[in-house]
Amino acid sequence: MVIIKRKELSFIEKLYLPQIFQALSHSFRAMFQPRITRQYPEEPLPTNEVTRGQPRLTLLEDGEHLACVSCGLCEAACPAYAITIDGHETERFIEREPERFEIDMLRCILCGFCEEACPKDAIFMSDELELADFSRAALVYDIDKLKRPREELQGRIDYFYQVNDRWRTPSSTS
Amino acid sequence: MTRITINGKEVEADPKKPLITACHEHAAQVPMYCYHPGLTPVGSCRICQVELQQGEIPPRIVVACRTPVAEGMVVNTETPQAHDARRQCLEFLLKNHPLDCPICDKAGECDLQDYSFSEGQAEGRSVEPRRKLEKRKNLGDVIVLDQERCILCSRCVRFFEDVTKKPQLTVSGLGSRSVISTFMDRPLTGNYQGNVADICPVGALTLSGFRFQARVWNLDKHLSTCGECSRGCSITVEVLRRKEVKRLRPHFNEEVNKWWMCDHGRFSYARLNAEDRLQGATLHQDGVPHPVDRETGIAAVVDMLRVHSGAYILISPWMTVEEGEQALAFCHALASPPRLLAPPTNDLKDDLLHTGEAAPNRRGLEGQGFQTQSRDDALSALAAAECAVLIGERITEILGVEALAELSNSIRLIIFDTHALQVSATNVCIGIPNAAERTGTWINVDGHAGRIAAAKPAPPGVASLTRSLEEIRAALAPVAGEVGS
Ligand code: SF4
Ligand code: SF4
Ligand code: SF4
Ligand code: FES
Repeated sequence: MVIIKRKELSFIEKLYLPQIFQALSHSFRAMFQPRITRQYPEEPLPTNEVTRGQPRLTLLEDGEHLACVSCGLCEAACPAYAITIDGHETERFIEREPERFEIDMLRCILCGFCEEACPKDAIFMSDELELADFSRAALVYDIDKLKRPREELQGRIDYFYQVNDRWRTPSSTS
Repeated sequence: MTRITINGKEVEADPKKPLITACHEHAAQVPMYCYHPGLTPVGSCRICQVELQQGEIPPRIVVACRTPVAEGMVVNTETPQAHDARRQCLEFLLKNHPLDCPICDKAGECDLQDYSFSEGQAEGRSVEPRRKLEKRKNLGDVIVLDQERCILCSRCVRFFEDVTKKPQLTVSGLGSRSVISTFMDRPLTGNYQGNVADICPVGALTLSGFRFQARVWNLDKHLSTCGECSRGCSITVEVLRRKEVKRLRPHFNEEVNKWWMCDHGRFSYARLNAEDRLQGATLHQDGVPHPVDRETGIAAVVDMLRVHSGAYILISPWMTVEEGEQALAFCHALASPPRLLAPPTNDLKDDLLHTGEAAPNRRGLEGQGFQTQSRDDALSALAAAECAVLIGERITEILGVEALAELSNSIRLIIFDTHALQVSATNVCIGIPNAAERTGTWINVDGHAGRIAAAKPAPPGVASLTRSLEEIRAALAPVAGEVGS
């Protein structure tokens, strides 16, 4: 067994004042140096088309109907089981559309598999990253919270085809 | 038996069956569209081409479904020539196919998808526009035809010719304008229409009730038995999200139903999904129902049976053999003869499957010693009884709610059913699982046993009938002992 004796502090050391002034001088100096942190949330994060934020559903050109035909491929691809879809028949040329399309944003791991699985250009990763609410239920997003005009996602869509055009071509969304 | 060689392996083959059957029996994957083991082969789609060598003749490509097995045949399903023949055939089939798999209900169980994948026909070369035809054509109430998706294999045509023996469909038109149609656009009729949606290898014929309802890979499939008549067809119960039965489909059973089932059975699933199920138990006193938990209900039943020891016991022909055994012990404990309510009959009887006797297990329960009572006999016995125990799914339905409501108010009714009974007489209803929520065995009209499977959970507070009966019997046992001593 080794007994370590604690070192006795001198009087000056016991005052702690030199250390306090040393630390304060650091703070004062930093006040006049350029800032290296971001003022979030006043100053939001910069995003671009490579940002893989939360998935969003695109609308067709008519701005009313979803491009989604409720094929369920994103639901099957989702590794987090975040997506639930129920489809129903339409009167339009596109015979089916989702009646219920829900993404549990608390489950979503922002992997982008749904975007890759979709054969209809209907789901893309947006640049929306913030997620806060008072209940879990409110974070299960339904169609109303998920739908976006195609133009809003256009940057991501173009980027998506740029990186994936080895194996797919844009499908018609009409 | 004939000896032939398939992919270098010498095997025994049945000379009465086409070559494609021998290939499938010996693990050689040969695709097929127009061939169906239950229908006459016509060899029209040409997807089953294989390479065949017979005697001195050099190898040639033949369709496996129309070639009879002969001694000494050398068949090769995997040569480049055979693959190429099938790939070319697929390219033609896909030439006019709309490829709307994301919308098509067949996606996931579609032979066109599967073979396109396995034979490697990934891209088409044609530049001409695809043909445009009608996409939602109702062929009666049950079947919807998508003419664009149809590959004209004529399975549906032959189903009505060979199986129901009442031809209703035909291929009309010429060349690329050929379509499946009925005579003068008359709607399809009969009790077996649903089968054509099952045998259609693509998504051309769909069930109007199942269209766009679910993606097939989301359905859990449970092997079970249809309970709508005493044929007891083998079926799969397909459940979405462990909650809702979305469709019933026939499952091949050589002895009972082969590949088919009737529409009466196929569309009986609405009943399995009924919302207004009895959870736990209900005590009806002075005409007012009080919902209680199952244990309280069981205690009330025990109290009633202590007072009325000579209760009239009647069971439903929907009970399984296993439940029947427990019911037999229950009758024995109460010193009552075992009685079975006669199954209702309907006018759907035909030569193919339906027996017209609309309950699955009369034969099994009679074999266990239950005496069949007609509905009229049962009702007159009930009118005279002080206390009655009615056990099993649909028993109040067969007796008739109105008839039960007419019973005098002095009778005490003890009911085990899936739904509560609203009558003025004092009664206790104990909830039981329905046919999609329990396991067991039904014996069909010819003595074949059919298993039923629990495909979804029972409503909260519902325990198996066997357990409820056993608990009541156990609670009554000491009293019976005291009386005896
Ligand atoms: S991003 Fe990934 S986890 Fe999120 S919904 Fe899409 S597939 Fe599921
Ligand atoms: S993969 Fe695309 S079209 Fe299919 S359900 Fe998902 S979002 Fe809709
Ligand atoms: S024939 Fe009878 S057992 Fe078969 S599906 Fe029809 S009702 Fe069910
Ligand atoms: S399956 Fe043999 S020709 Fe169609």
